[in-house]
Amino acid sequence: MRSLKGISLRHIVMPLVVLLCGALVLYPIGFLINESLNVGDPSAFPPEEYGLDNYINLIDDYHVLTNTALVSCIATVLAVIFGFLQAWILTRTNIPGRQRLERLMELPYYMTPLIGALAWGVLLGPKTGLVNQAWRSFGAPGDLFNIYSPWGIAWVMALFEGTVAFVMISAAMKSMDPSLEESSRVLGAGKLRTAVRITLPLVAPGVLSATIFVFAEMLGSFAAAFVLGIPGRFYVVTTSIWQATLSFPPDYGRAAAMGLSLFVVMLVTLTLARLVLRKGTYTTITGKAFRPREMDVGALRWPLLAIAWGYIIVAVILPLGALLLTSFERFATVIIPQMQFTVANYTTAMQMGSVGPAFINSLTLAISVSTIGVLVIGVLAWIIYRSRMPGSTAAEYVIMFPQAVPRLVFGLGLLWAWINLPIPIYGTLWLLALAYFTVFLPLGLRTIASVVLQVDPSLEECARVCGAKWGYQMRTVTMPLLRPGLVAAWLLIFIASVRELGVSIFLMGPNSKVIAPAIVNSWLSSSSELSAAMALIQTATIFIAVAILFGVARRFTGVTQ
Amino acid sequence: MNRIEVTDLVVRYGDVTAVDNISFAIAPGELVTLLGPSGCGKTTTLRSVAGLETPTGGSIRLNGETVYSQRRNVPAEKRGVSMVFQSYAIWPHMTVFDNVAYGLRVRKLPQIEVRQNVERVLDLVQMQDFAGRPASKLSGGQQQRVAVARAIAFSPSVLLFDEPLSNLDAKLRAEMRVELRELQRRLDITSLYVTHDQEEALAISDRVIVMNDGQIEQIGSPEDIYNRPLSRFVADFVGSANLIRGKVRGPSGKNQTLIFDAEGDMRLEVVAADESRGGQEMAALRSSYVHLDDPLETHNTVRGTIHRRMFHGDFIQYVVEWPAGQLIVRRPPTELFEEGSSVTVSFAPEHCVLL
Repeated sequence: MRSLKGISLRHIVMPLVVLLCGALVLYPIGFLINESLNVGDPSAFPPEEYGLDNYINLIDDYHVLTNTALVSCIATVLAVIFGFLQAWILTRTNIPGRQRLERLMELPYYMTPLIGALAWGVLLGPKTGLVNQAWRSFGAPGDLFNIYSPWGIAWVMALFEGTVAFVMISAAMKSMDPSLEESSRVLGAGKLRTAVRITLPLVAPGVLSATIFVFAEMLGSFAAAFVLGIPGRFYVVTTSIWQATLSFPPDYGRAAAMGLSLFVVMLVTLTLARLVLRKGTYTTITGKAFRPREMDVGALRWPLLAIAWGYIIVAVILPLGALLLTSFERFATVIIPQMQFTVANYTTAMQMGSVGPAFINSLTLAISVSTIGVLVIGVLAWIIYRSRMPGSTAAEYVIMFPQAVPRLVFGLGLLWAWINLPIPIYGTLWLLALAYFTVFLPLGLRTIASVVLQVDPSLEECARVCGAKWGYQMRTVTMPLLRPGLVAAWLLIFIASVRELGVSIFLMGPNSKVIAPAIVNSWLSSSSELSAAMALIQTATIFIAVAILFGVARRFTGVTQ
Repeated sequence: MNRIEVTDLVVRYGDVTAVDNISFAIAPGELVTLLGPSGCGKTTTLRSVAGLETPTGGSIRLNGETVYSQRRNVPAEKRGVSMVFQSYAIWPHMTVFDNVAYGLRVRKLPQIEVRQNVERVLDLVQMQDFAGRPASKLSGGQQQRVAVARAIAFSPSVLLFDEPLSNLDAKLRAEMRVELRELQRRLDITSLYVTHDQEEALAISDRVIVMNDGQIEQIGSPEDIYNRPLSRFVADFVGSANLIRGKVRGPSGKNQTLIFDAEGDMRLEVVAADESRGGQEMAALRSSYVHLDDPLETHNTVRGTIHRRMFHGDFIQYVVEWPAGQLIVRRPPTELFEEGSSVTVSFAPEHCVLL
């Protein structure tokens, strides 16, 4: 019987896909663990001697650990303050234009910390920074602020993570049943008493879990510490992992031990954040969409509006403006008589030896990884959430694993894993494509899963009862219904690929350069004007892709609505 | 020959037994309802017949052909049954026409026949004017009609209904109930119908199967189920019944009734629906069958007091204090008694059934 054969085919294909993706995820981590225990010749494989020396020696790097803790703490506090203020202003007050502001809050996310770090380097770099130039031209001695410092790094990281904190905290605020506050008012409590006794305790778990989550992200963040820390020889864990692989001979053991320790600390912290959220949220999160009550803030709304816009300006408009100005200048300056405008930076960016090809490579990678990724992950999502195959929960955990590993640490694992394989793909785009696919598995799975879970299973079952075989049902019912999710996943993977840094910086070779590391290299080795032009081209690519795909997505969802 | 034959069906999920060894058969043209509270296994049974659930044991035969047994499991798309889903499962990305035509197109019917059939069934459910409408732009009741049209379009031998009316509001539900029964009679299509609404089950079925906890409590005509419940569960779940404790003393000597010593020192005349069952320690009395101050009813007369009166529109519900505690009585809105007044309660022996 043909249908019986179809079933058995599915039973072969499903475990195969799961096993393959599982191997892609677990293989590099296995290598990383192996290497962190290598105490013999660091470049020998397999290791000649095993031991814990690499971990014990981490104590010598205590200044790196204190640096990391310092920067992460400052940045977390700042980010949560930004996020909380924005969330409260935009969800609970009646300031004008809230909806537009809420949409603008997505922008810092598309900007990436790398662009932010470059821009703030341009603005507040010692001596050459635009703001510091202006400061001196008014006759002030020295710089207004040196961004190449722990505070500078924390500032840039906080601006970016502020959006993340905003999303998490405003979700907690939005999902709160307004009748909880209303009943307090009805029972005779005033505005302030209600806020202190009812609102705050209900929102507190959301804020706390956002704080812990943001802190964990800070521990593993790389771009800002890299761009702003390296010039001042200020190292955090991630940058010293990178440094260890560059030293001669490369100290992979130390890097691996550091990376794994970071991974464990992050994993513990993230688990804590999830526990706090689960334990602390009473029944305020019911999955129902509430319209939170807006508070009439009276005359206070103008200062609050200024704060809300202030964040957008500082996090998006000012950095982009600085990059734009710099990219069109021969020498970065804000002193008007000295300005010399040129488009040379852009022509150089497109032509210069390996930079032009880096753009082409990044686009090729992004398009092919997202296209193939969406197809494979689509099947994976269906297997995990619909097929009721035994072990699908375990499969979900494995596929979601890269999410818990700092990108840079995963990159290190991939580097070490593929260098030691007799397949000659190290230094080629193939390796980068494979690596991108692996690290973006969780992103794609989460996006597609949210749509798979929304589609009522009876829509598929009905097709079967009507007489459709599995293939016919997939083609006529399942795939058309999943299309919005597939488009969204494609878009997200595309964006993530174009701006990928942590993995690429380890895996790119002389003939497989990609854009984000190219920008970093240009920043560290040549001019800020050229880097600004490159960063803007990258940002523009992302924005154009977002615009196009939102248009496409709107047309598709228009049909399915 | 029976259209549907379920024998010793067992469905287990891990340690949980959803359907525990049930058997029933449905004759051609019959509409049989599986009635029970949520979690009683009725939907699992229906889905097993459809082929959407894989049973653990037993067998299922459709039109004489075994579709499920230990050695054989015909997939859903090959069983030739059709189904109306609780959520309607109308595909939002297709038009009404495409939805209804789906089963015909799967069977590769020529264009012209597809069109004719779709028009015929849309006519039947009075949706002929909506063929070109995107399915996402339909109201709940319209979706329901399209779902029915789609289910009957390819002339299936057996039609399965999974709580098809539970998402409609009360008024529409009552209307659709009549229409569904009308359609089923007209097409003479064998149907298995799942619902948790006892009123719906009694109204539309030829026979009702009451299920509880994965097992069948009683199979019978709606009148049977209502008038002669075999268990406390059926008496409680279907309709409104008073349960009276007591002990059977013996036959009364006339009309095959029994003497029942009820609590509160009452001696009542009752009947046994089925001698083989029950511990003979409880009797069920439908609240609609109790008379208040009716001189014509001379059996089982007991004095009581009206404790509470609730006006429901179609009937009045009284809570009557009588020797065995409180008795729920439903009377037509014309029979008005004041709270606190004393009344004579009476009921016929055949309406007081031993469980």
